[in-house]
Amino acid sequence: MTTFNFSLLTGDTGPLVKGTEPDRLHIPIHAHTPILAAGDQVLAGTKIATANQPGEGDLHAPMSGVIKAITPDYMRIAVNGDERADATKPPADLGELKQWLREQGVNVGNLNQASRLIINAVPPEPGITIYDPLLRDYRKTIELGVETIQRIASTSKMNLVAAKGNRANAFANCTVMHVAPTYPNGLDQLVIKAVTKEEVLLGAHHKDAVLLSVRDLYFIGRVMETGRPVTETVMTIGTQNHLVRIGTPVGFLAGEAGATVQPGDRLILGGLMRGMAALNLEQGVNKDTTGLQLVRDDESIKATDSPCLGCGECERHCPARIMPGMLSRCSEFKFFERAEKFHIHSCIECGICSYWCTSQRPILHYIRLAKYELALLRTATSNLPTDTQEETGQQTGESE
Amino acid sequence: MITKPLQPILTVSVPPHAHCGRTIKGYMSETLIALLPAAIMAIVAFGMGAMRVVALSCAVAVLTEAICNKLTKREQTLDDFSGLHTGLLFAFLLPASAPWWLVTMGAASSIIIGKMIFGGLGANPLSSPLIGWATCRISWGDAMDTNTTMLMSELPAPLQQLKYFGLDSVETIDSISLLLGKQLGGLGEVQIAALLAGGVFLLIRRHIRWEIPVAFIVGVAVTAWIYQLIDPTAYASPLFHLLTGGTIFGALFLATDPASTPVGPIPTILFGLMAGIMVIVIRVYGIYPDGVPFAILLANLFTPLLDRIRPKPFGGAYQLTQEPEDEALCEKC
Repeated sequence: MTTFNFSLLTGDTGPLVKGTEPDRLHIPIHAHTPILAAGDQVLAGTKIATANQPGEGDLHAPMSGVIKAITPDYMRIAVNGDERADATKPPADLGELKQWLREQGVNVGNLNQASRLIINAVPPEPGITIYDPLLRDYRKTIELGVETIQRIASTSKMNLVAAKGNRANAFANCTVMHVAPTYPNGLDQLVIKAVTKEEVLLGAHHKDAVLLSVRDLYFIGRVMETGRPVTETVMTIGTQNHLVRIGTPVGFLAGEAGATVQPGDRLILGGLMRGMAALNLEQGVNKDTTGLQLVRDDESIKATDSPCLGCGECERHCPARIMPGMLSRCSEFKFFERAEKFHIHSCIECGICSYWCTSQRPILHYIRLAKYELALLRTATSNLPTDTQEETGQQTGESE
Repeated sequence: MITKPLQPILTVSVPPHAHCGRTIKGYMSETLIALLPAAIMAIVAFGMGAMRVVALSCAVAVLTEAICNKLTKREQTLDDFSGLHTGLLFAFLLPASAPWWLVTMGAASSIIIGKMIFGGLGANPLSSPLIGWATCRISWGDAMDTNTTMLMSELPAPLQQLKYFGLDSVETIDSISLLLGKQLGGLGEVQIAALLAGGVFLLIRRHIRWEIPVAFIVGVAVTAWIYQLIDPTAYASPLFHLLTGGTIFGALFLATDPASTPVGPIPTILFGLMAGIMVIVIRVYGIYPDGVPFAILLANLFTPLLDRIRPKPFGGAYQLTQEPEDEALCEKC
């Protein structure tokens, strides 16, 4: 992977392409609870699952069809017909608006009351150029999204953060800020830092700022405009940006783009630094997917369990100023508590440590494992039942 | 029930999916390439004796590592060349006249008590070849003496002469011949010019960073200069100290060992300075003519402390908290 570089410059991107319609959808639902059963007929826009996490948006069928199967991970819909569910009107009342947006599939988790709105227009990862066509061709929609957020979060100040060298025209009453066009400057934590000079941990919210990406604002604008739920995502496939229905199988998208997937290749949902490898060609994209990349078997890195050399390359490149190598060792030998002493929670999960690791250790994965184990450790002790009878009762209840 | 997987079978792995392309094997082989000119110069200068020591040391180191891996039931790691690397570095510290048992003992202890006992590659708290050197120097000091064992040679032994005969005895030795390796000492460590070339190669390939070598050399030079200011008739010049013994070898190859050295910019500079100052202090007051190996070993001991000099982590220190009532709850159970 010597051709890879960290530049976030987008260059000239073409218009947003509307993809061909697939004949089946595999909608990921591991964070949602399905409300329909297999065999049910759905229209485009019918709600199919409610979110488990507060703030997370609900799921809707992107196209009309029949639900063929529901597994814990995905819902399979065979597409037929093109009927659409009725559009709803956004409520006039501000209090209900947020809830309405959530029901329309918008993630409203960070729409708190704040004085500042930060619009992230820095590409999240190298090779992902989704913000460029949105900012250029869908200004009206984004402006509507901005207006909606200003009403909900009652923000008075606005900053647009863009990578230096990429096109970004300001909105009304908006200050444009430029950051260096190199990864990881597009990550939310670093964008918040660039604007407010404050460092916010991954998973925490800034107390007086709301950060939304251009894409978030575009979809909020679209929901307000049409009264129809979010059922699509914007993805960079190759050099083009596509508007893709969620649940579209990655194999279908790769085929549309003209790529032949060989055994042993990787299909990456998202960018190469933080993206998730697809399990198989039928895996569907979800609302957060920003891109699709094909990595050939012979050009990919194979993570090893080689020991950490202690060379410190990870530490020198770490934007969070922590010791990823040491954290990976703590995690490797299950010293999770010690990982906390080495400031594991400061990690913003950019993956740069693993990129530079001479031993090719999966450092980011080790860090995520330690974070997960720590969370488990803490919640396990806090959820301890008060007496043993209740415990057995709960266990049998759960097993049923 | 076995379901047939969907074809084609994709590779599933964790992010990131891009990598800079560096490997342990690449690092080790490029370091070996960087050491090659000095090895050739050593054979030119000391003849087949040097070749014998180098070959034996490398062979013993590799073999010992293989046996250790076998005994501890670990995966064989010979193909990453780290055993060869340690063996070669150790050989560079020996006189060309070293008897076979000394080379064997030293190379074996470099690997066993320098590296494998701590968990193998990357886990050594001290530079492994120096452990082998220290073992031999303390146990069999006479056999390790580069001067007395090389009496047949016509080359000068500048550090021994300085220590036992004073500054006057080394004034006739000119710097150019020192730079070209015309002196007695460890067979590879005195090939100053060749080592400098190898060091520049490593710096260009970014296998080592400039901080430790530069700080080390500055530490040596400034301390030597201070002593010279105190009494120019008793103490040698900074240039003399830089060009004799293992100063350059230590600065470029031993003090830059990844595992036993700190990482951050301030810790590395402090580490280099500390080792460099110790070199002169040992050369002036110590009982050993060359202070480089012990200076680096001492500095290695400070690595965990130096590594505590850290910038503030992103977003400040944070601990995942439990709910307040948990404390009482945990006491009960």
